[in-house]
Amino acid sequence: MNEYDDKWEDRINALMDGELSATDAELLKTQASDDHDLACAIIEAYQLQQAMGAIHVERAPDSLRKRLRAIPRKHRPAPAFSLLQPRWAMALAALPLVVIAVSLMRPDTPSASEIAQARQELAIAFAYLDKAKLITGREIESSVGQTMADAVTDSVNRAIKSQNLNSKEKEA
Amino acid sequence: MKRLLMNKFVIGLFCTLFTLPVLAQEDELKDLPGFVDFGDLSATYGEPKITINLGGTMLNFVGMMSSSDSQETSDLISKLKGIRVQIYSMAENSDAAKSQFGKTKSHLKTSGWEPIVQINEDDEQVLVYMKSVNGNMEGMTVMVVDDEEAVFVNVIGQLNPAELAKVMDRFDVDVDLDLE
Repeated sequence: MNEYDDKWEDRINALMDGELSATDAELLKTQASDDHDLACAIIEAYQLQQAMGAIHVERAPDSLRKRLRAIPRKHRPAPAFSLLQPRWAMALAALPLVVIAVSLMRPDTPSASEIAQARQELAIAFAYLDKAKLITGREIESSVGQTMADAVTDSVNRAIKSQNLNSKEKEA
Repeated sequence: MKRLLMNKFVIGLFCTLFTLPVLAQEDELKDLPGFVDFGDLSATYGEPKITINLGGTMLNFVGMMSSSDSQETSDLISKLKGIRVQIYSMAENSDAAKSQFGKTKSHLKTSGWEPIVQINEDDEQVLVYMKSVNGNMEGMTVMVVDDEEAVFVNVIGQLNPAELAKVMDRFDVDVDLDLE
């Protein structure tokens, strides 16, 4: 402000910003016509205002914009799920215990209804095996006669029985 | 969103834990020499009319339950390690079943199974194969394909068909089968 008293500074700024009333503005101009330093200060203020208005806003480089945008993300609180967080690490450590507990809780003994169901299924399986036996017996009988059918059936039964005996002997 | 994923993960984990013993039992049967894979005909005929998969553990319980009624039945069951049945109803075309019948038969032949009975009629095919290892019976396979149904039975362990008739009466179960 060219060594001029600071008391005018607020009024000049107000004049530049259009915040000075018309009376005060007129008064300031009157005083400036008598005071050379004040007139120079007002002129400099106008020139500075015009120079500021002439400055273009330059676009920041992309790299700088990216870095600026990243700042809020860096200061964001940590996400809720991360395996490195203590609570998740503890949960993972407890997992084997859960597995063991679940396997121990699983009943190895089937219920009475499950066994009854299995018994019924076994009866069905045996019935189909019996059916196959009857069909084969009937077919053999019709092809070669009852005597041969019995002979074939008996020989098969003997073969299986001898294997069972063989197995029992080995077990003994 | 992440909480939802975590919930799904936990539910999936528990389902896996509960399913594992069932799969382990199936795998246990698959490793036995008397096991036969019958394939899957559900794509052609829909889900099987009857599916039975009884493992050794369940058969032991059935055997124990039967011991009070009949020692003979209990003894017969005690020799079994597993029993599997698949029965498909066929409305019209039995080609797929006959094709599977042929594939299984070829597999049995090349896997050391011995044919016991084979019937090849136009309207009915029956096959009984037996597997023995070192003189011990390890399994029996029975397949019946006619115009109405395809029956696949796999007995794992020892079973004498002659003893079946003796124990059938002991099972107080109404099994309705068309034997004609």
